[in-house]
Amino acid sequence: MVNLLIEFLSNTGFALAGYQNIIMLLVGIVLIYLGISKCYEPLLLVPIGFGILMGNIPVIRDFGLGIYENGSFLNYMYFGVMHDVYPPLIFLGVGALTDFSAMLARPSLMLLGAAAQVGIFITFLGALAIGFLPNEAASIGIIGGADGPTAIFLTAVLAPRLIGPIAIAAYSYMALVPVIQPPIMKLLTSRKERLIRMEEPREVSKREKLIFPVVGFLLCCFIAPGALPLLGMLFFGNLLKESVVAERLAKAARTSIIDTVTILLGIAVGASTQGDIFLTSKSIGIFVLGASAFAVATAAGVIFAKIMNLFVRNKINPLIGAAGVSAVPNSARVVQIVGQKEDPTNFLLMHAMAPNISGVIGSAIAAAILWSFLGG
Amino acid sequence: MYGLDAISANNGWQLAALGISIVFAGLIVLSFSISQIHRVLEFFDKSSGFSQRIKKAGREKNISEPDVADSPLPAGIKESAFQFKLLIKHIGEPFSLPELIDFSKKCGLLHSHLRINDLLQTNLIIPDGKGYFLWNYEVEKTLRLFDERGE
Amino acid sequence: MPVDINIIKSLNFFKDFSHADLEEIAPLIDQIRTTEGERITCRGCHADTFFIIFSGNFMISFKHDRSYTLHDRGDIIGLSTLIMPFAYTGTAVALTEGAVLSMPGEELLRIIQSNSELGEKIMKKINEIVEKRMPFVTGRC
Repeated sequence: MVNLLIEFLSNTGFALAGYQNIIMLLVGIVLIYLGISKCYEPLLLVPIGFGILMGNIPVIRDFGLGIYENGSFLNYMYFGVMHDVYPPLIFLGVGALTDFSAMLARPSLMLLGAAAQVGIFITFLGALAIGFLPNEAASIGIIGGADGPTAIFLTAVLAPRLIGPIAIAAYSYMALVPVIQPPIMKLLTSRKERLIRMEEPREVSKREKLIFPVVGFLLCCFIAPGALPLLGMLFFGNLLKESVVAERLAKAARTSIIDTVTILLGIAVGASTQGDIFLTSKSIGIFVLGASAFAVATAAGVIFAKIMNLFVRNKINPLIGAAGVSAVPNSARVVQIVGQKEDPTNFLLMHAMAPNISGVIGSAIAAAILWSFLGG
Repeated sequence: MYGLDAISANNGWQLAALGISIVFAGLIVLSFSISQIHRVLEFFDKSSGFSQRIKKAGREKNISEPDVADSPLPAGIKESAFQFKLLIKHIGEPFSLPELIDFSKKCGLLHSHLRINDLLQTNLIIPDGKGYFLWNYEVEKTLRLFDERGE
Repeated sequence: MPVDINIIKSLNFFKDFSHADLEEIAPLIDQIRTTEGERITCRGCHADTFFIIFSGNFMISFKHDRSYTLHDRGDIIGLSTLIMPFAYTGTAVALTEGAVLSMPGEELLRIIQSNSELGEKIMKKINEIVEKRMPFVTGRC
């Protein structure tokens, strides 16, 4: 009896816990606090935070509980991360939520979304320079795309062990977009530029909104086939939304499906964040590079808008270049706020949605390119 | 290995340059294609009215047009009235507007909402006060939309 | 798209608002173009936006496909933003191209709640409209 008791006690978390478990549990609690109390991307940070708690409870190996043990509950949840099931389903919901009219009305603004993806590749170079392997550097670089599902999608393929810190970095910085972007936007623009009023966009017909998802999907996936899962679901979700006849499906995609997948993704990503990866100098490198990725992407978008103004007749307010960082719709809202601080009657939100959405497409294409270069 | 050597050793410069170029090229192609969509649609709309002819109810009789000076009716109201009257006969009265709209879409009629609005504005469709709607035969007679056989 | 304060003042719903109230509200009001067949509200969904018809024609449908249509500038869609349980009771669809003025329901509610005299006038207007529409919502016509 005593032996049984001793055996039981030796299998409890108290006996098995190491310092790494304790620190990671504290990290999980901090993320939950940030999500609930500070409202930093709560829909992601709360599940990720709790996932960290679940994944870092000390358990006996080979007991069928750990996330990396075949057949465990957490392992089944992790399947969707490892095999890139969840990110495309989230993109389905994003497509069903998003109105592409702003982009269709003025397609030239899509180039601002392309420019912002420069942040990905510059960060990739920076990561290589400080000693990360190419696969890891690409996964870190994609943080600059400011797109959580895309970051997870690529990291699951190229550097699955880094999913935890990369996902946390990506979503944390997405929440900090209102803090990171404005100083850079003000630094790179003059007051006169910030006051530019853009021409009202033309009206987009229903037929255009129906045709675009099909045409866009075909073009993007012919150019970058690796983007098929992400962009396929994005454009499919949008087609469901615009077709009206499939409103039930569109509603399911943007509500129950995206919410369910967000829960599963958050828990799985959090649970996969183990101390032996997270509590290393690599994580510090990831967080530093992640912040620089956002900053470079913002700067690239703004600078490209200024360059475009040298050639276009209808001037672009360069602030909207910052919305090429595809944190939809946070970065577009930041543009609106910064623009309104200069002129309260200048409504830039609608214009900023164009580069915002093209940033999502651009980051998916960039991920596909990196996958094709470095995968396999 | 660190620094620029690490980048060069891993073909970083080439990967980054090519990657950025492909992203730009892809979005330029996409943006150009999008900019042409509405032009292509306008071209098709202008060059043929075939979609309207297909949706005509296949009548060959001469239908006397209402006097425009006396009753300025929305364009295409006769056609709409004929088609929707048929649909309403099928679904029965009183009918619900959403049901009528859904049914008309299933039958392949374009711009159902717009046409129903025209019928509402001309009082060919009137509310019954209980959330449903009726066809107004009196107004139909007054407007002399159809011949005596009701077609 | 921002809306001129004089346009807002011309609408019956805002007739009793003071200039100061209108100056507070105007930046919150957006003019949104609608296209034929576009859905503005969805029955059962959380009612967070209040709409006023600026132009165009709209249909609101309720349970059992009961519906009525709105054709006049100043007609209201989305009263449920101001009434518990803050869920739209009908699905509003644009019958033609047009425009609506949209406003976050929370902000309108805040202004109403902070000014009891104004609040009373507005709620009276709303009650009149609700009384007219309730039979369609409940089905007891």
